[in-house]
Amino acid sequence: MTLLDSVKWFIEASLTPSPTVFTIGIAVVVLLPILLHFLLLAATPYATLPSVLLVGPSGAGKTALLTLFERGPLSKQEDYESSTEAEKSPSPIIDGSPASALLTHTSQTPAAVELAISDDRSSSFRDEVDTSSGSNARKFLLVDTPGHAKLRRYALSHLTGTASLKSPSTASASFPDSAPKKTKLKAVVFVVDAGALLSDSEALPSAAEYLYDVLLSLQKRMAGGKGSKAPASIPVLVAANKQDLFTAVPAALVKSNLEAELGRIRKTRSRGLLDSGVGADDDVSAREDGDDWLGEYGSEKFSFNQLMEFDIEVDVVGGNVVGDGPGADKWWKWIAERV
Amino acid sequence: MLDTFEILTTSGVVLWSRSYATVSPSVVNNFIADVFIEEKSSASRAKDGASAAANPPYKYDQHTLRWTFEKELGIIFVAVYRSLLHLTWIDKLVDNIRAIFVSLYGDQLKKPNTTIVECSKFDEYFDQQLHELEQTSGKSDPKELRTIKEELFSGDSEDEPPLPPSLVLRPRNSPTSKETPTADSPDSTPAASPNVSRAATPASSHLLTAKAGPGGKLSRRARKVQNSKAGPQSSGDEAGTRRSSRLAAKGAPKRGRKWDADGFADEEDDSVQLDYSTPNAATSNSDQTGGARLGAVEEVDASTWGSNTKGKFVLRDLGDEVHSILASADAKNSAAKSDAATGLVGSSLSAIGGLFRNVVGGKVLTKDDLDKAMKGMEEHLLKKNVAREAAVRLCEGVEKELIGIKTGSFESISARIQKAMEASLTKMLTPTSSLDLLREIDSITAPPATSLRKARPYVMSIVGVNGVGKSTNLSKICFFLLQNKYKVLIAAGDTFRSGAVEQLAVHVRNLTELTAREGGKVELYQKGYGKDAATVAKDAVAFATQEGYDVVLIDTAGRRHNDQRLMSSLEKFAKFAQPDKILMVGEALVGTDSVAQARNFNAAFGSGRSLDGFIISKCDTVGDMVGTLVSIVHATNVPVLFVGVGQHYSDLRNFSVKWGVEKLLSSN
Repeated sequence: MTLLDSVKWFIEASLTPSPTVFTIGIAVVVLLPILLHFLLLAATPYATLPSVLLVGPSGAGKTALLTLFERGPLSKQEDYESSTEAEKSPSPIIDGSPASALLTHTSQTPAAVELAISDDRSSSFRDEVDTSSGSNARKFLLVDTPGHAKLRRYALSHLTGTASLKSPSTASASFPDSAPKKTKLKAVVFVVDAGALLSDSEALPSAAEYLYDVLLSLQKRMAGGKGSKAPASIPVLVAANKQDLFTAVPAALVKSNLEAELGRIRKTRSRGLLDSGVGADDDVSAREDGDDWLGEYGSEKFSFNQLMEFDIEVDVVGGNVVGDGPGADKWWKWIAERV
Repeated sequence: MLDTFEILTTSGVVLWSRSYATVSPSVVNNFIADVFIEEKSSASRAKDGASAAANPPYKYDQHTLRWTFEKELGIIFVAVYRSLLHLTWIDKLVDNIRAIFVSLYGDQLKKPNTTIVECSKFDEYFDQQLHELEQTSGKSDPKELRTIKEELFSGDSEDEPPLPPSLVLRPRNSPTSKETPTADSPDSTPAASPNVSRAATPASSHLLTAKAGPGGKLSRRARKVQNSKAGPQSSGDEAGTRRSSRLAAKGAPKRGRKWDADGFADEEDDSVQLDYSTPNAATSNSDQTGGARLGAVEEVDASTWGSNTKGKFVLRDLGDEVHSILASADAKNSAAKSDAATGLVGSSLSAIGGLFRNVVGGKVLTKDDLDKAMKGMEEHLLKKNVAREAAVRLCEGVEKELIGIKTGSFESISARIQKAMEASLTKMLTPTSSLDLLREIDSITAPPATSLRKARPYVMSIVGVNGVGKSTNLSKICFFLLQNKYKVLIAAGDTFRSGAVEQLAVHVRNLTELTAREGGKVELYQKGYGKDAATVAKDAVAFATQEGYDVVLIDTAGRRHNDQRLMSSLEKFAKFAQPDKILMVGEALVGTDSVAQARNFNAAFGSGRSLDGFIISKCDTVGDMVGTLVSIVHATNVPVLFVGVGQHYSDLRNFSVKWGVEKLLSSN
């Protein structure tokens, strides 16, 4: 009986217009969505992290760079490495330290790593950034993509921003939360092997071709932006890796070699056959538009400066992941400035 | 010996590695590129969960790689050793390490946005496994040799002279040994052959001790001699652990000596040998009953071993842990196999839930879910003129990829399959290297001043079956090159069919007229009929070099791909003309035969040479049934360069992967 009474009383009280009922009602109406929002936000903590994309041909050192930034330089990791090193046979270590660097192999799936930059930009990745405070450290995702020719669509789809990293293949299995649907792409780091970029080497055309695709998709993205607000610019860093090698080409030469090669590719592509699927009738207009022409249309020589027209800033900076040399500090600083 | 053992993720990070000898990283890189990315041979597709024995070994540059792949976590386990060696326990090592690693660090691997896995302690586990497996194989080898001898009754006993007396008693046991292996061989066939020897030896030794006849005494003495040579441990004691080893007769005495160096006292040997009968009976019994036999056998073995040898307790503790891990992994495997039906109510509930999930998404895909939809996809591909072989392989690959994956929200199974198939097709059709023909021609005809190469004409030749459009496509390519202002020489390599040379002459005349304004130049090089095509081609190239032509296009006679006599002349042709590119023209019209055509032509140029690309002609006649594309690329891993889409000289197109995939998956 008492139960029935109390229920009755409760219903009556809640249906009678009174200030208390109004306040509670309004509070529920206002607070519930906010609470729900925070709950959902907590469930997807990485939804809004800015990201930096690592692209480049296979074997350039993308994954090595990723692990370097994540784990810090080897001096800090000696306790980690020494355990395995000690057991290793006393094999001759070839030029210094490469043998003691963290091994990486050809990637098949993209990998994302969460990194943090402290606000005073002078710091390097060597410093431990206290992420727990969260006050003066900004987090970002460094996304490593496979460089094998068959797997470049991961990187290119990421660039255009249409597709998520959740590839339909094994990536979704191994990295369930590696990337949110829509990432805020802040910068692109194009890693090349400076040791193989002599002007007549085999690696140069393939690297340049990949760079061409990357730059072209960025250019299209800028040109194809709808509405009055242009899409945020994405700067590109060409990281001339492996400067520790004797055969390495300095950054300035890497730049000029790449520019020359990009110019050559641009020319042959404009003269090449049409892609299948393009009808014969609309080929003329597509060709005339210069849609697939990178940089200033009709210009004789290609240079990275031409891309400034599309708000794409390209820097070429040398460095190395393993061994002695300038190290990766400059790259880190470049990324820190842009994130 | 083992050169390197590596545990790496699919994203390329080596989580843990141990190397005993320097192995060039290119070995593993090539392995990944060939097996996982390019999927070069259909047999070596990445199979999730398959044991290392089921995965075919990958051989590269004197190294052999045994590997296994854990799909859920995306980690690959690779063992690298010299191909010269015959290491029988590698399979087992790779499998065991995988089970241990996954159970120890699986949680760490699931964390998002990091590649760090703290596994520095894994060294000890690895050492323990390696030690144990090496021991067991080293010990068991002589005995296996003996069991084989028992079964075959062949008295080849050059390294064990005192054996013949024991042979007298043995034959009685061979029937039992033949029965036992049927009880337990769950994973694969290679594992079955060790089982024979395992089951046989304990049973026989058990029988021997029960009958203390003169023959038995003799044989025990014989065994003692042998034990002191091969290792002091008793034969029956370690018998249970021998399942991993196969028959490696050559390595046996050497490893045995190594075991001797570990230092076991001889008196222990005696005491052990006296009471080995009971545990042996137990092990052989449990063998026959099946069940969780691996763990049980291992544990019994480990405890006796540990208690017998003082000062090895650390090893034993770790061993126990490892064995329990392995046992639980085994149990999990068998449990996964057994729990199919959980009652009527449960199954119907899950069926309703499955239907609901099918609409809403978020369903974990199983083989049953996929089977029907995959059948539909296969049917669809077959309708698109994909050869059955290629369609089946594609569907199998997609199915394997999808099992255990959760569908996205509001995503049906068929949509998911569609997506996966699209990715799979894209990956297959995307070429590995750049296909910019003009760039290649430029780099050959006008090499950079710094390089040592001399300028020479770029040689292309075109092969194919009769009537697919070799000459037509050749003239289309010629037209394209002429538009780019190259000097082109067409060599009439078809010296067989009447009218072939005249046909080319007509093409050349037309092309000259068409491109007179553009500035290109084209000539025909012909030597009439009846000459050897290879010689004509060689002469044409020499002539072009002399006259400063940019490109030489060589036409060849059409030949049936299964005519050995005609195909064999292609090898000579490739040797004489040294073409930079050999293109094969394939019809879009042809069906299942395209696979055989592509394979035979790809193999026809000798060991050092293969096709460089395909031209798919007559694409305009098939609408969207362009399955031939998939069939030939599947068969050869050679990319498609051009597609012919019409009758005019200008109707040649670069092959666009996106276009091809769209056509293949379009639903009408």
